[in-house]
Amino acid sequence: MDDDEAVTRALAGDLDAYEVLVTRYSAVAHRTAHLLGAAAEAEDVVQEAFVKAFRHLKGFRRGSPFRPWLLRIVANETHDLTRSRGRRSDLAVRLGREREPYGPEDPQSVAVAADGRSRLLEAVRALPQGEREAVVCRYFLQLSEAETAEVLGVRLGTVKSRTFRALRRLREEVGREHLG
Amino acid sequence: MSISDDDEREALDARLRALGAGLTVPAPPPADVARAVRARLEGERARPDRRVHGWWAGRRPTPRALAASVAVLMAVLLGATPQGRAAVVSVLRFAGVEIRVAGPGPLPTGVPGPLPGERRVTLEEARRTARFPIAVPTALGDPADVRLADGGRVVTLLWPGVRLDEFDGTLGVVWRKELGEPFPEQVAAVGGWWIQQPHGVSYVPYGGGAPHEERAAGPTLIWQHNLVGLRLEGPDRDEAVRIASSVR
Repeated sequence: MDDDEAVTRALAGDLDAYEVLVTRYSAVAHRTAHLLGAAAEAEDVVQEAFVKAFRHLKGFRRGSPFRPWLLRIVANETHDLTRSRGRRSDLAVRLGREREPYGPEDPQSVAVAADGRSRLLEAVRALPQGEREAVVCRYFLQLSEAETAEVLGVRLGTVKSRTFRALRRLREEVGREHLG
Repeated sequence: MSISDDDEREALDARLRALGAGLTVPAPPPADVARAVRARLEGERARPDRRVHGWWAGRRPTPRALAASVAVLMAVLLGATPQGRAAVVSVLRFAGVEIRVAGPGPLPTGVPGPLPGERRVTLEEARRTARFPIAVPTALGDPADVRLADGGRVVTLLWPGVRLDEFDGTLGVVWRKELGEPFPEQVAAVGGWWIQQPHGVSYVPYGGGAPHEERAAGPTLIWQHNLVGLRLEGPDRDEAVRIASSVR
């Protein structure tokens, strides 16, 4: 069953069909919520987003891709959450298996872990929110510019300029580190 | 160095993509999410006029509902696992640690950060400054590193692969732990509790305020020595009990 058929059936009240969509996009929805700042609450955000998406399915423009439409709801839910908590939306992630998931923090191993990847991640984290979200969508979620615009609810030109500014900033950061 | 260099831009593109590919994000099994969403949608259909955010939302509990929730709580305490994302949480408060056992959730991904006001001190300085007598397990000898945090409320002793947090365990909650089943195991030998599974732990600062960012913790033994609460993280159960028994 493709997305369009699933949406058609879901609109007719077929919850089995909607379950297909939820299963299909659950992973990317969690990744989006998490990387846009929901952190430990990503699970709640995603569940809420899927429930809202079902309620608003009538507003979905048939024939257009379902994924960015859904991810926009996820992004909005995430923004509402971080706003309501009065905290800055943040990129709360850890790098692969660089560190043990637990155990004391040995300063030496932390120093070793502070390689190029974690410095680049820190630099992304330090970007202004709009630029950071553009980078997260384009590079960490591998969305196209058009999809990014839809998910973040901004114009295509805004995505382009934010990405451009972000990359310039990141290059400056990385460049300084090479010299240092 | 030319900032507009195309090669440099491509290299940065590739590095960012590789960085993104290496970022691990926890997510529950999609089938579980689908089931939970479906349960909520079906619940709304049953009550179409009300936007329900949870089983408790907007409802004054009837005596019958109250009796039912008590029954559910008992079921949880007896070890039955409710299906799906249960709203019922069983809570255990012990020695300054609050343990909440609920449906399995994703592990926190916050990078472990220092506690409020954390600084490295000598054991002697920690003994002078801490608000409680510091206990050292003779099984481990002198710690490799000692940290004092939050105005002397917590002292952390570190050995390779072992972390021992000591705190005033008599007033209020110092640590909050979130875990799925199984419920922690009672360890009679030291009068404490053993948590086998990886779980989320956050620090609750002195004087209230938002809990410190959550991090993932491994197997942990929690016990109390006189008035001091202790949490030992790193060793396996038998080794942890051996270390705990050697505390003087």
